[in-house]
Amino acid sequence: MSRAIYWTSLSLAFTFLILPLVVVLPLAFNDSTFLTYPMEGFSVRWFGEFFTAPPWLYTLGNSVRVALGTTVVAVLVGGLAAMGTMLAGKWGQIVLSALFVSPVVIPSVVLGVAMAYAFGRVGLGSSYYALVLAHTILAAPLVFLSVLTSLKGLDPELDRAAASLGASRWHRFRTVTLPLAMPGFATGALFAFITSFDEVVVALFIASPESQTLPITLFSSLRDRLQPTIVVVALLLSIVSCLFILALNRLQRRSLAAR
Amino acid sequence: MSSLEISNVNKFYGPTQALFDVSLSIGKGEFVTLLGPSGSGKTTLLKLLAGFEGASGGRITLGGRDITELKPEARNFGLVFQGYALFPHMTVRDNIAYPLKVRRMAREEIDQRVRDMLELVQLTRFIDRRPSELSGGQQQRVALARALVFKPEVLLLDEPMSALDKKLRGDLQDQLRDIHHRLGTTFINVTHDQEEAMHMSDRIAVMNHGRIEQFDTAFTLYRHPASRFVADFVGKSNIFSGEIVRGAGNVLDFRGDGMEIRLDAADRAPGGADLMIRPEDLAIETAPPADGRVALAAEVLQSTYSGDRALYALRLANGREISAYGAARTGIHPEGAKVFLCFAPSDATLVG
Repeated sequence: MSRAIYWTSLSLAFTFLILPLVVVLPLAFNDSTFLTYPMEGFSVRWFGEFFTAPPWLYTLGNSVRVALGTTVVAVLVGGLAAMGTMLAGKWGQIVLSALFVSPVVIPSVVLGVAMAYAFGRVGLGSSYYALVLAHTILAAPLVFLSVLTSLKGLDPELDRAAASLGASRWHRFRTVTLPLAMPGFATGALFAFITSFDEVVVALFIASPESQTLPITLFSSLRDRLQPTIVVVALLLSIVSCLFILALNRLQRRSLAAR
Repeated sequence: MSSLEISNVNKFYGPTQALFDVSLSIGKGEFVTLLGPSGSGKTTLLKLLAGFEGASGGRITLGGRDITELKPEARNFGLVFQGYALFPHMTVRDNIAYPLKVRRMAREEIDQRVRDMLELVQLTRFIDRRPSELSGGQQQRVALARALVFKPEVLLLDEPMSALDKKLRGDLQDQLRDIHHRLGTTFINVTHDQEEAMHMSDRIAVMNHGRIEQFDTAFTLYRHPASRFVADFVGKSNIFSGEIVRGAGNVLDFRGDGMEIRLDAADRAPGGADLMIRPEDLAIETAPPADGRVALAAEVLQSTYSGDRALYALRLANGREISAYGAARTGIHPEGAKVFLCFAPSDATLVG
């Protein structure tokens, strides 16, 4: 029975998740201007197109800058929120956790409209900072959750042991709590980066032509000119995502080994 | 002269009281064990001493200095945890060096002290290992080294052996006693294992329901328990409930459980009393003795042979069950055998 479920879900996942990629991705190497089979010949000219023709590299740069900015702010905000929540009592923890996680349950369209309006009112407009701020609101809960999880997994006796050995609260935090919660911070940072890098809905509402991100460019070129460059971008993004998943996997294994 | 004085300490958790007027006076360099069943308040008292919990009333002083309100990090007390609490991200070296680095000692001094401690606990070759690469007993010795390396005034041990197997426990007990002799630090150990307490301690504080029942040497606890609880908790015992009556010639007799014994104690007032006889104070004879000892007719229910001796479960004529040790060099009394349990009245102790 469990074997049947295993094979069914595996084949469904393959059909709907992997197969479309397998079908589409080879087109990145197609010599034709059109996104169609049969392939007319092997070529890497669309890779060249991605790296030379505007606005691809420019928006990739934007995306990376926004994602990095988001990562830094989200780790700070989410991490501090998690550490503060740990100090609260049982009910305080439940309430605070619900509050800090709430941005995740609000639909991105609603967030996008609300933030575009709010940022316009306070004069942030559609600047780089506005995008970072918007993405931070989406990414901070993920950092919060992963840091909170790793802090909760720590043995409270370790802090007591460090106290009995003469370490002040700040010293204990720096030498015991923080290093042991590091995998949680790293996981949260990766999640934050991916969230921002992939995000398209909120970015559509906020980004100006100058602060356009890669997903927006991808989205608009799907409508305007259906070129194999899109597939090249898709391929590159998939590779980046795979690398991130590998990194996450390694982090989890390391934090397990530390226990 | 830096003795640890605990005076009239009370502790409440909400409406429930965990400690009732606890007072102990512990001398410098003494090895004291807080012994009691779970829920007796021994761990609470240790937490108060470590500074993790505040006292609801009373004072704790060290060498005359009031430390009742002092934070744990300011107490300079070493603490060995039940679950070791070693830092998993540090090597053995860094774990032991931690309290020294906190105190900003010079690197050479730290190196020297870490090496000395590792030698003391015989773990020198594990210096660069992580805690996860050590066995339970080794981890506990690293925890001990870490708690002693900064020369604390007092070392607190919170059931340090409970996670170890019996053989290892014995070894670590010997080591701990040896280390205590060499360093002369005051040790305060918490345990529910009376054998461990008797093996290592200079004095034992027996706790029950948040109170100190008796604070004495193992010998006094065992031979002269102050209460029925102590008699029952420390070692095996047979306790008879009865009363003291003034017999003929103005001497005191104990009557109860179908026997009557003349008492040595002259300072007892008549009234209800418990009489304790240890299993090793009873001799098992096949004929009634003629030497004036008290003899109780009994029947053997069961025997447990342990090589050097045998532990018997016996039943008196009135149905009361008794345990007694018997020599087992020439044979064991079979089940159902009719025997006489003999003891001198002076070996019976009044408790409570």
